[in-house]
Amino acid sequence: MEVSFAKEIEKLKLGDGEVFHGEGILAVTKALLQSGVSYVGGYQGAPVSHLIDVMVQAAPQMSELGVHVEPCTNEASAAAMLGASIMYPVRGAVTWKSIVGTNVAADALSNLASPGVLGGALIIIGEDYGEGSSVIQERSHAYAMKSTLWLMDPRPNLESITNSVERAFELSEASNTPVMLELRIRACHVQGSFVAKDNKAADISAKQMLAEPAPHQYEQLAHPPVTFGHERLKSGQRMEAARRFIADNNLNEFFAGKHKDVGLIVQGGLYNALIRALTELGLAKPDGTCDLPIMALNVVYPLVSDEILQFTADKKAVLVLEEGQPEYIENEIGTILRRAGSDTILAGKDFLPMAGEYSSQVMIGGIGDFLRRHLPKAGNQLNDGAYGEEVEELRQRAAKLLARPVPPRPPAFCTGCPERPFFAALKLTEREIGKVHYSADIGCHAFATFAPFNFGNSILGYGMSLASNASVASFQQKRPLAVMGDGGFWHNGLLSGVTSRLMNGGDGVLVIMKNGYTSATGTQEVISSPDHDLKLESAEKSATHGETTIEDALKGVGVKWVRTVHNYNVALMRDTLKDAFKTGFSGLKVIVAEGECQLERQRRIRPIRAKALAAGQRVVRTRYGVDDETCTGDHSCIRLSGCPTLTVKTSSDPLKTDPVAHVTNGCVGCGLCGEVSHAATLCPSFWRAEVITNPDWFDRVRAKLRNWLTLGALA
Amino acid sequence: MSAKGERAGTLRLLIAALGGEGGGVLMNWVVEAARNAGHAVQATSVPGVAQRTGSTSYYIEISREADEGTKAPVLSLVPMPGRVDILISSELVETARALAAGFVSPDRTTVISSTARVFSTAEKIEMGDGRYSQENVTRAVEELSHENMMLDLGQLATDNGTFVSATMFGALAGSGTLPWAVAQSRSVLADKRSMAGFDAAASAVNALRSTSNELEAARSELPAELQNVLDLGRARCEDFQDTAHGELYAERARTLIGLANLDDPQCANAVTEAARRLALWMAYEDVARVADLKTRPERFVTIRKEVQLQPGQLMTVTEYLKPRAEEVADILPARIGRRIMTRVERGKGLPFLGRGVHLKSNGVMGYWMLRAMASLHLIRRRSLRFGEEQEAIVVWLEMMQKALKSSPQFAEGLAELPRVLKGYSDTLARGRIAYNRIVSELIRPAMESGDLEPVAGQLRAAIAAALADENHKKLDTVLAATVSNSTVNPNNQEATLNE
Repeated sequence: MEVSFAKEIEKLKLGDGEVFHGEGILAVTKALLQSGVSYVGGYQGAPVSHLIDVMVQAAPQMSELGVHVEPCTNEASAAAMLGASIMYPVRGAVTWKSIVGTNVAADALSNLASPGVLGGALIIIGEDYGEGSSVIQERSHAYAMKSTLWLMDPRPNLESITNSVERAFELSEASNTPVMLELRIRACHVQGSFVAKDNKAADISAKQMLAEPAPHQYEQLAHPPVTFGHERLKSGQRMEAARRFIADNNLNEFFAGKHKDVGLIVQGGLYNALIRALTELGLAKPDGTCDLPIMALNVVYPLVSDEILQFTADKKAVLVLEEGQPEYIENEIGTILRRAGSDTILAGKDFLPMAGEYSSQVMIGGIGDFLRRHLPKAGNQLNDGAYGEEVEELRQRAAKLLARPVPPRPPAFCTGCPERPFFAALKLTEREIGKVHYSADIGCHAFATFAPFNFGNSILGYGMSLASNASVASFQQKRPLAVMGDGGFWHNGLLSGVTSRLMNGGDGVLVIMKNGYTSATGTQEVISSPDHDLKLESAEKSATHGETTIEDALKGVGVKWVRTVHNYNVALMRDTLKDAFKTGFSGLKVIVAEGECQLERQRRIRPIRAKALAAGQRVVRTRYGVDDETCTGDHSCIRLSGCPTLTVKTSSDPLKTDPVAHVTNGCVGCGLCGEVSHAATLCPSFWRAEVITNPDWFDRVRAKLRNWLTLGALA
Repeated sequence: MSAKGERAGTLRLLIAALGGEGGGVLMNWVVEAARNAGHAVQATSVPGVAQRTGSTSYYIEISREADEGTKAPVLSLVPMPGRVDILISSELVETARALAAGFVSPDRTTVISSTARVFSTAEKIEMGDGRYSQENVTRAVEELSHENMMLDLGQLATDNGTFVSATMFGALAGSGTLPWAVAQSRSVLADKRSMAGFDAAASAVNALRSTSNELEAARSELPAELQNVLDLGRARCEDFQDTAHGELYAERARTLIGLANLDDPQCANAVTEAARRLALWMAYEDVARVADLKTRPERFVTIRKEVQLQPGQLMTVTEYLKPRAEEVADILPARIGRRIMTRVERGKGLPFLGRGVHLKSNGVMGYWMLRAMASLHLIRRRSLRFGEEQEAIVVWLEMMQKALKSSPQFAEGLAELPRVLKGYSDTLARGRIAYNRIVSELIRPAMESGDLEPVAGQLRAAIAAALADENHKKLDTVLAATVSNSTVNPNNQEATLNE
């Protein structure tokens, strides 16, 4: 795992009245313990990876409270875990990244929501929408509506977030319905404070075992004919109970303002950005005191009709600030107002953009227009256009001074990443056999869609690359290529891709990146992660070398053509790829591209080296370099690598105006530079230096001999 | 509008950095220091996959007054353009990115920026010089910031054996923009190296604040630069072959200078560039040259410095060589070389060649093998490639002479043309193709028409296009446009009609 949370885990033990300082997602973990959960689970993915990491690292502390912790193999299995709360009065929580994770979990969620739950069931979703998002832009809100799950969207401060977690369990139990709590990226990572409470041990848990299973109750199965009754319950009794609970416990918040003719209805998660926008307009103070009445929806589904009608009762118009599309909340409010025969004008997406994040800047424009129309006495005094003009002017001045657009800097493979050599080999293969159809996947290897590699014709979801080219093969002369990581392979790829291709006797080439972890999410473990013994045994070598779970699984389901190639053997990888594309064997061909995640490898090696150095043992460090004098500055090597440490610098030769290639001290000596210069017949400028610390007598004698026999030229 | 220029409310701090540089660590330090000093504080970030060396940012809001009574301020999670009080950046182009997005305002923003560069892939993969202009960024910062401090925080970190997060924190604390004492910031650090980096940056920033910026060094005058290039070029050619080769260089350069009006800056520029390209071309990299450069004592001094060899450590240096039949043919006498090339063209090679060799250049065997290869310079004058290159150089020089006489602007472009001839093996071969195409499709027709001036811009564009991508896609476009733009030759038109 990439990040250590040893210090943070201590904070999970804080008791009543103590102040917790820390990250939003850790505060959620603390709130779960304060709520007396019996089990937690989930699947990693930004922005909730830290939640999984903390749960796994805190497993010993959690087990003291009897909490069962389970990092799942995908979101479907995490959602299914909540099945424990259908028949038993136990609280449980799971987490994943949304929208993608909710998509994967959808089947289980439908079948969970239909019978409903006895114990509180909570799903923490990291709503990966807007700036910094790595997935398609959709709203989780749709799932809440179609499966009848409640959706909370609390104001983004730790007091409000942790309070919402605790209330969510109560709401879930009061209405027998699972609750989703959505946190946007910045809210997951917000650093803040809240006053803690004591942790609670559950009545039923790993420490308090039940002697008997629950009785057979057909009504609790998602199976006809009771599903028809479930539907009536969901929209009737459970919905009513939820609305009552929300209203009785003031889950939504109302803030008064002097301009009583209008009002703003906002998703809780957008509240802080709204206050900042109003402050900029001179309509609010930094402490949140505001001239306009605000209704902050900490629960965005279901809405409580009475609350809406009460808030809008004596208002001429209300503006709904709802991020993303379509405008589900606005539509529901419209229905509520219309059915009640209300005269209040409803505004929303007609003043604000349909798509994209609602930053303060975006809100300023929308609110200005709204007020000019519906509260002219205040609206006409606003100078809301000035801000936009000011920003535009700043940007234009900067653009003029900078002369050229700022070069993009998307994320890339880490220094020494074992996936980089594979893409160099693929580039070399394509020089010989031409371009091939490339089905990309989710994971670190998707960085190969950026320069200098620029690979990929489609991305269809996690572990879906092979499945996504099933029909491409039927109309392509060259075999299509699918690439997925080991994370994607276990998440979905083995079943959706491999077995489906085998069952249909289809052709194709699949490359599986065996780096040992789900690395883009922070190196969490998969079933084929190298175990402790293997890591010890491999020392400085790649620990995934001896791990064959993936190969065994492939052979087990019947793949006949499997090759495992170490990524750093670029020439062999190129030849294996050529073979896979050219061989007469028709059927699925799988290349397991092996090389341990460099982040994990370095984490393992560093202490080994430090120990050896401290003990005065012989240690060899490798790094690469480029000769200034022979480099002609054509940068072919960089176009085959993209390594952060292989960069450019001004040539020390005053006659050369173009920058030459240069290796910085961050080089971990992975070996790609040498391999590529060989495989691609690049240039003779690369050198590899092996630096020997604490040399032994043999090293010293050899060095002396060398010095003599080269007439001191190297002294 | 209330917020413009007004320093009320919260202090808003934007950190611009690259993933993996420790921006999150810096953010947490600032948060802890603020809390210790009794200020309400909130910070957040959008890590995601940006942690993998992509550009990323962190945002902190701090109440200006400590212990502001009971009602906590509502702090925003997202920075607003034009409303950032402090921008601190680990890298100069990341500073540019923040400027371009409008975060820096002359009304309120203090910019503390590292001048260090971590080149982006887009800048590195260009075949020529794709580096972003540092001068432009510096000028933009100076013009658009309220106050600015620019210094190499990366180097300061390296010097103190720590990470850039520590020097960024030191610079921030030392800048006087935080509403608490420097010592209060320093107290959240736990290890000595971070503290050393912190202290160094804090005092460096202090020094910056007290001294005014030095004036830019005056640009060297062109004739001096030309003289410099001539001296370097002559020395390069002597070093490559012998005194006679150096003399030949000087003579060729003198011929060009004789034709140029050095008072015309364009002309002077063209001659200087031509002298530079001539030197590099005349001292091309063949097997002997590479082997010679790789076995020079000063090279090993450089490598020792680069790998930071400590006393008591030993080092071996391994070379990655892959000489093919083509490279061997290049250095052999022309007749034998040509025969080998005929074999190569038929798809046959030479035995034992074309595979990668790992050679220890500071091992006994490797060293003497490389020296033996280097000694091939003795027969270089008669070698296949020497003859071919001289021939091509003479042709280029003749074109240069014509151009200098009729259009200095065109000459400037033509002087730069040999720049596309670089690299080794396939890269060089592609460069030669581009070179020949530009000569035959653009330069020759222009020379024949006698009107060079209007084509100067296209020549420049063609050179840039040849360096833009390996597949010559851009070059195709530029050359195609050139052909269609030029007046249609009536003979060609007939030929087309006849087809």
